Amino acid sequence: MSDEPQTSLPTTKVARAARFAKTGFNVGTNYIKHYAKKAVGSESTTEDLHAANAAELYGTLSEMKGSVLKVAQMLAMEKNMLPTAYAEQFAQAQYSTPPLSGPLVVKAFRDAFGKSPFQLFDEFEPEARQAASIGQVHFARKDGKALAVKVQYPGVADSIKSDIRLVKPIALRVMGLNEAQVRPYLEEVETRLLEETDYKLELRRGQEIAAKCQPLQHLEFPAYYPEFSTARILTMDWLPGQHLKEFLATNPSQEIRNQIGQAMWDFYQFQFNELHQLHADPHPGNFLMRAENGGTLGVLDFGCVKDVPQDVYELFKDLLAPETFADEARLEALLAQAGVLRATDAPAMRALYLRTMQASLELVGCPFRQATFDFGDPAYMAALYALGDDLMADPELRKQREPRGSEHFIYLNRTYVGLFALLTELGASIATGILV
Amino acid sequence: MEKDRIKQAYLDFVLNEGHPPQSVFKLTQQLGVAESEFYQHYPNFEAIDREIWADFGRQARETAAAEPVWDGYGSREKLLAFYYTLLEILKNNRSYALMSLRRSLHRIPALSPRVLDDFRQDFEYFVSDLLRDGRVTGEIANRPLVQDGYPRFFWQQALFVLGYFAKDDTVNFERTDAAVEKAVTLSFDLVGRNTIDSAVDFVRFLVRK
Repeated sequence: MSDEPQTSLPTTKVARAARFAKTGFNVGTNYIKHYAKKAVGSESTTEDLHAANAAELYGTLSEMKGSVLKVAQMLAMEKNMLPTAYAEQFAQAQYSTPPLSGPLVVKAFRDAFGKSPFQLFDEFEPEARQAASIGQVHFARKDGKALAVKVQYPGVADSIKSDIRLVKPIALRVMGLNEAQVRPYLEEVETRLLEETDYKLELRRGQEIAAKCQPLQHLEFPAYYPEFSTARILTMDWLPGQHLKEFLATNPSQEIRNQIGQAMWDFYQFQFNELHQLHADPHPGNFLMRAENGGTLGVLDFGCVKDVPQDVYELFKDLLAPETFADEARLEALLAQAGVLRATDAPAMRALYLRTMQASLELVGCPFRQATFDFGDPAYMAALYALGDDLMADPELRKQREPRGSEHFIYLNRTYVGLFALLTELGASIATGILV
Repeated sequence: MEKDRIKQAYLDFVLNEGHPPQSVFKLTQQLGVAESEFYQHYPNFEAIDREIWADFGRQARETAAAEPVWDGYGSREKLLAFYYTLLEILKNNRSYALMSLRRSLHRIPALSPRVLDDFRQDFEYFVSDLLRDGRVTGEIANRPLVQDGYPRFFWQQALFVLGYFAKDDTVNFERTDAAVEKAVTLSFDLVGRNTIDSAVDFVRFLVRK
């Protein structure tokens, strides 16, 4: 373990409160800047202020890189992005936790198995190879097999719960929302976050989904080892391959990138359409790519899995179907069903929502309406950016701070935002076909 | 051995009854040995308490040092390993630990509990050794004068850990684990070479002119 001084480890309640207070402080500074600008007569609209506040909150909170953030902005018109940003913030807070010390890892094993990892495995690296969202991954070897052992930070589930209690009022205040409006969304996010801390559940889901995805080509799943796993320790195969960034640095051919992109696309379509259950965390760290067999994709981390209820599935599918896009009355009916449009909305408001939804569905649904789609096409991303900017700039829309739509859409959106971003970065051209 | 029998009988009594026996006579009678036998080993019950705590500490040091990775650890990790092993032992003896701590704790809260006297002595020797090793490897900054106070500083940390463990109400005392991790990291950040050393060095330079 490193002996370097480690910064930012807000685990006690007080330390975390201080961290959030800092966000509050920065938001306060934004107000000061706003009034200062006003005082010197320069144009500083309240929108600027809100944008600055939101930026402060969203700030470094997501692992998403620039391009993804643009897409995220675009989807933010549904305001579902608030809870997702919220989720990302916790993820971020966990990412910045310093690595567990060797002795604590040993202790976690003693608690779980009554043995130290050095007794349990033939070989065990006390230094973590990488950080997982709420733990760290160690390399181990047993009977000649390379294994990845994920060890969870102690007390994570507890700190998630108290973080949520701490940040909720501040987040609501800053975003200008009241609790009743966002409760279903926050509950959805909390459930997912807490599920992620249960490695037993992750093991079961990983095994199930891997078994069901057997027919799919060019995909690879690690085998899990229940005998070396508990609620806090998860042991699986160490899959070969590289993460997206490193993989792209090796200059893979277009064919390989296409095949990997295709495997990823098929994997998600299969889960959504056949399993109604989604690996809802398409984060670059959860995929391993390699050039063997013309491109193979390894899928890790089933901590965040979204079960899609039948009615939500139908709704989502219908929204993306080509017929819907052409038929305004049908779109209106579907959006009302999804809770985006409400009977109490003023006609002008309704038209506004309808217009913006139509515009974004046209673009987002684009890959679904074509037989093949080139995610590497810069024009598509440019169009997404432009739409995102337009929506963010729309003064009418920005006044609508209240989130709308089914809470199930949070993770569906997150999944597709992540998937599109990965495919774009991969620059893959894919046979997308029409959503069945 | 007679001494171990007396210690064990005392421990059983405290665990079952929740308080020490009323007199040495009662305990020795129960054991079927002469009261004078007791005094050959211990002057009073408090001495047994102190020894039990010292045993916890010794056991923790020995078990931790028996790990194959021990030699590869730096001073920080060695102290961590000691704490985690100690907490494991205390977890198995939590009822006794809480009872004996509480009995001597509430009288004068600012002072170290008397039952920990022997434990403390061993702990400070152990920490002094760790610190000396750390200075050799450069993990710990050499600060003449100040560093003589380190063992006492680390003893306060040990008291903090014990106090935290006593009050922890999380499943499997997970928060204590986190508290240990952070407290030890902080303390080693403080005794390691850091801003303070550069500042002192700078001031010394200016003064010497």
